[in-house]
Amino acid sequence: MNKTITLKINNKTITTEENSTKRLLDFLREDMDITGPKEGCGEGECGACAVIIDKELVNSCLVTIGSVQEKEITTVEGLRGTKQFDILEKCFAESGAVQCGFCTPGMIMAAHALLSKIPKPTESDVREGISGNLCRCTGYNMIINGILMAAKRGDGLW
Amino acid sequence: MDDIRKSVIKTDHKIKVDGSAKYIADIKFKNSLHAKTLRSEKAKAMIKNIIIPELKDGYYIVQGKDVPGLNKVKVIQNDMPIFSDTEVNYIGEPILLVVGPELKEIIEILNEIKVEYEEDIPVFDMREAKDAFAKYEYEKGNIKDAFKKASRVIEEKFYTGYQEQAYLEIQGVVGSYEDGKTSVYGSMQCPYYVKNAVIQALGCSEDEVRIVQTTTGGGFGGKEDYPSLIGSQVAVAAYKLKKPVRLILERIEDMSYSTKRHPALLKYKSALDEHDNIIGMDVDITLDGGAYATLSSVVLQRSLLCAIGVYNIPNIKVNGKVVKTNTPPNGAFRGFGGPQSTFAIETHMAHVANEIKCTPLELKNKYFVKTGDNTSTGGKFSYDVKLEEMIEKAEEISDFSDKYKKYSNEKGIIKKGIGMSIFLHGCGFTGSGERDFIKAKVKLLKSKDGIVEILVANTDMGQGLHTTFKKIVAKVLDKNYEDIIYKNPDTDRVPDSGPTAASRSIMVVGKLLERAALRLKENWIERQEQIIEENYKHPDLIPWDIEKFNGDAYPSYSWGVNVVEVEVNTITASTQVTGIYSVFDIGIPIDETIMEGQIQGGVIQGLGYASCENMERKDGRLKQHSITDYIIPTSKDVVNIKNVLVDNPCDLGPFGAKGAGELTLVGTAPAYADAIENALGVKVNKIPITPEWIMEAIVNE
Amino acid sequence: MVDGYFPSTFEEALKILNEKDVVIYAGGTDLMVRNKNATSLLPTFNDDLLYIGNLKELKEIKESTNDLEIGAACSLSSLLIEKEIPEILKEAIRQIASPAIRNMGTLGGNICNASPAGDTLPVLYALDAKLKLTSRNSSREVNIKYFILGPRKTLLEKKEILESIIIPKAEFNKLYYQKVGSRKASAISKLSFVGLAQVKDEKVKDIRITLGSVAPRIVRIKEAEDILVGSNLKDIESKMGDVKKMYSKEIVPIDDQRSTAVYRKIVALRLIQYFLNIEIRKELGI
Repeated sequence: MNKTITLKINNKTITTEENSTKRLLDFLREDMDITGPKEGCGEGECGACAVIIDKELVNSCLVTIGSVQEKEITTVEGLRGTKQFDILEKCFAESGAVQCGFCTPGMIMAAHALLSKIPKPTESDVREGISGNLCRCTGYNMIINGILMAAKRGDGLW
Repeated sequence: MDDIRKSVIKTDHKIKVDGSAKYIADIKFKNSLHAKTLRSEKAKAMIKNIIIPELKDGYYIVQGKDVPGLNKVKVIQNDMPIFSDTEVNYIGEPILLVVGPELKEIIEILNEIKVEYEEDIPVFDMREAKDAFAKYEYEKGNIKDAFKKASRVIEEKFYTGYQEQAYLEIQGVVGSYEDGKTSVYGSMQCPYYVKNAVIQALGCSEDEVRIVQTTTGGGFGGKEDYPSLIGSQVAVAAYKLKKPVRLILERIEDMSYSTKRHPALLKYKSALDEHDNIIGMDVDITLDGGAYATLSSVVLQRSLLCAIGVYNIPNIKVNGKVVKTNTPPNGAFRGFGGPQSTFAIETHMAHVANEIKCTPLELKNKYFVKTGDNTSTGGKFSYDVKLEEMIEKAEEISDFSDKYKKYSNEKGIIKKGIGMSIFLHGCGFTGSGERDFIKAKVKLLKSKDGIVEILVANTDMGQGLHTTFKKIVAKVLDKNYEDIIYKNPDTDRVPDSGPTAASRSIMVVGKLLERAALRLKENWIERQEQIIEENYKHPDLIPWDIEKFNGDAYPSYSWGVNVVEVEVNTITASTQVTGIYSVFDIGIPIDETIMEGQIQGGVIQGLGYASCENMERKDGRLKQHSITDYIIPTSKDVVNIKNVLVDNPCDLGPFGAKGAGELTLVGTAPAYADAIENALGVKVNKIPITPEWIMEAIVNE
Repeated sequence: MVDGYFPSTFEEALKILNEKDVVIYAGGTDLMVRNKNATSLLPTFNDDLLYIGNLKELKEIKESTNDLEIGAACSLSSLLIEKEIPEILKEAIRQIASPAIRNMGTLGGNICNASPAGDTLPVLYALDAKLKLTSRNSSREVNIKYFILGPRKTLLEKKEILESIIIPKAEFNKLYYQKVGSRKASAISKLSFVGLAQVKDEKVKDIRITLGSVAPRIVRIKEAEDILVGSNLKDIESKMGDVKKMYSKEIVPIDDQRSTAVYRKIVALRLIQYFLNIEIRKELGI
């Protein structure tokens, strides 16, 4: 049995003696003070806790830290400062994609994961890409416009 | 600055996108204790005994006897306890808090506590309720006469179900105590509601309580009065223990026990003369208030005021009551009684049209209110009513009438349908509440260096107040909106400008800010600190009399037309929305993109209300109480909304703006119902219109 | 407090499984919901976790002349991009939950969870899938129809792991999949329908029909299929009554928070009729 867990979070290697069954979401928020990922339901339905693990979008409320050792974990904090984040931020502003903001970090991660796989998505691709991220404020359409705008303007970035 | 409506980047955009915005659960309070709630297992009972196990060091119970002041949550009536440790009236009612440093231990203690109940017989069905929290009625013309003269009477019943706000950020508050002052931080819409509740709970003075709103992840009315309950609980706990106490609900808890939209039973009876004119309408509305009064009387008022919709019917009688059942109390949700009535009146008119063999729009057209008409309660539609123009625009963008005709005669497995709704929403607080209870006050603080700060109690919960309020002040003062300061309200620093509810923030508070900014501009003194205060002035209206239910219920109205297009798969009864079109009159938009956001979000919430947000109870418990089982639309369930705004500036609001926050949810459900009826030739009488209901209707055809 | 085992090979995993009481953890998407605790508390597992989600041996896809073998720990989304995976299985996977869930959830997990609403199950039943169950000292193949005993109950022995899913190759030129959920994403099935057929010269050479979420186990009736095999398309109409009666007996759905028994049954029978009347006559498959 492992006593020490090693995780790679936002390009930093962290070792911890927290129990390996601890939820990644709790580890991020409590032990790392990384509060971008949120708890909206704890059941993997709302996507507010979404992070990117080895380039895949994952609900961090559904993974134990033991199950994601040696994997590259990125939260919205880890995207800050990148050219892709800048484009997403600008396009989300112009398209009015942010209201209360609670779903937004998860949406940014879903957008980034989608564009990394499909740099030139159709509207249908985008709806599919954020289909696991619930939003109650915007009705989704302005978020989708923001992502399509970012795909266009970020030509070559993804 | 350009024309105020030109979209700008929201001032809280960056922190929300980069994840640095702190919501209550993100904030670490030093030495804070966790709190979890012990809840009633019974729907109606006296509590005979609560057996508490021996508690480890550092663990405490906070209950009724720890409340220094009144153990009642201050809302409209004082009927709801903060801690219900002698009597319970719904399953889930909070009995006490277990507080301590480790959550694991707290939950173990909770599981060990034994409550001895003496059960009574609960009432779950609103039709069997014996007590009412409020009753109102009003009449116009001579209704008895109208029914005597009638050649035809069309009578029917409608039912509208619960709707859960399902804000993404779960409810949470933190109470703390320091230097004689009790503070509550949290996700909330109305800091002064919470402050007044805490003052009552602690039996203390105003300056011994401080309430601070933290960045709020959605409210929609669900955080209008509920934070007064949990805020009072943590305030009492923090006061007792002299340490920060953190109460963040779990999603299932929030969904199961916090306030929801009132289910409604609406009976409509129309009298038609021999020429098929509607000469009278009799409406009877029952709302299910749950176990305590909370805001139900005002929800009922608005529901009754919307009962005749946008129509001028010569003789009417409207009465309603909100009744007590042994279920969690219901409360505010965007629309506040309006969506229930609007669904009923619009669908009833469509059914009357069917009976007399014309289209719904042809019938409705004959009765639309016009500028200068009286309202159903003897008030006046003093400001321009632009319904004709709005319907024309709706036809232009959606091709409604042609499609309506075409879809009525279709055959095939996939049936298309299109529907329209026309509706209004009264802007601001119902009746004389603004003048008699709220008495809003705003302040502008100008520093020596000329930096202006907005001091109001209104909260941004996503609707963009941080940006729109700044734009209003900046435009008047000819400054950059980004240089105006407006922080999340702290009651130590801001006056009571009233709740963030009732579609009043822009129109009422925004207007006060506009006036304050004008006065500051006219009296600006360089290099001197200045404070400008502005108080609410009630406009010249026909006085509202709540006893007679007569007068101007609202100073002005906003208007909407929605068109929804659907496809129904007749094999599975699943539906797909294929088009949504809207035309709104909200005066003028303070920011076009922010207004678009309110439209997109509100209309889609209305769509959920109409179609998939099914919430039922069995023996007082919810069947759908998790985010998995309570179905709100996902990105794949919606299509883009094509919207047009019709300008209609109103001098009551800043730059001509009227109320807009709730209007956008009110009309989707009746438009959706109309579309389903157009597609299938069935008669809808309840929402949500689930595939299960549709299948039954298809099979019975 | 429990902890975890992190075997680096399949053999190592089997050894641990043989000796210890563990919970097999592949993608975790079902386990973590079922063992959910209050925020910030550890999940409620009673035994140590055996992490098999990263084992290479369980993520392989091997194609032979007669069948396709899919490693049980293949994530659902990884299967969507593999060309060997049958289109009907991809159709079902596409409509499971959401992208984030599909990225972690595994085919083996969907099977071993044995939910009556498991979305891959009706497809695997229709394809006559076999399951390779392996322990330290043994390996056996069981047809999926025998493997699942009821909701959450399978034949899996305590020391066994589902190693792979073996799908016999078969040709179908008519494919119809319908998931009926309460919304278009993140929806637990109210019911689901799989219809596969091989039609040549207007004759039914092979036909498979399965239904999910309408009974404690997946509904597939070989006798009904046998009535239809060998029929001409134009004769199906006359057999419809008997066929529907047979399915009607086995379709015994329940009322729950998602839907009603009445709705599920009506729609199930309509889908059968629709498949046999219309889909089976369409020119192409999906």
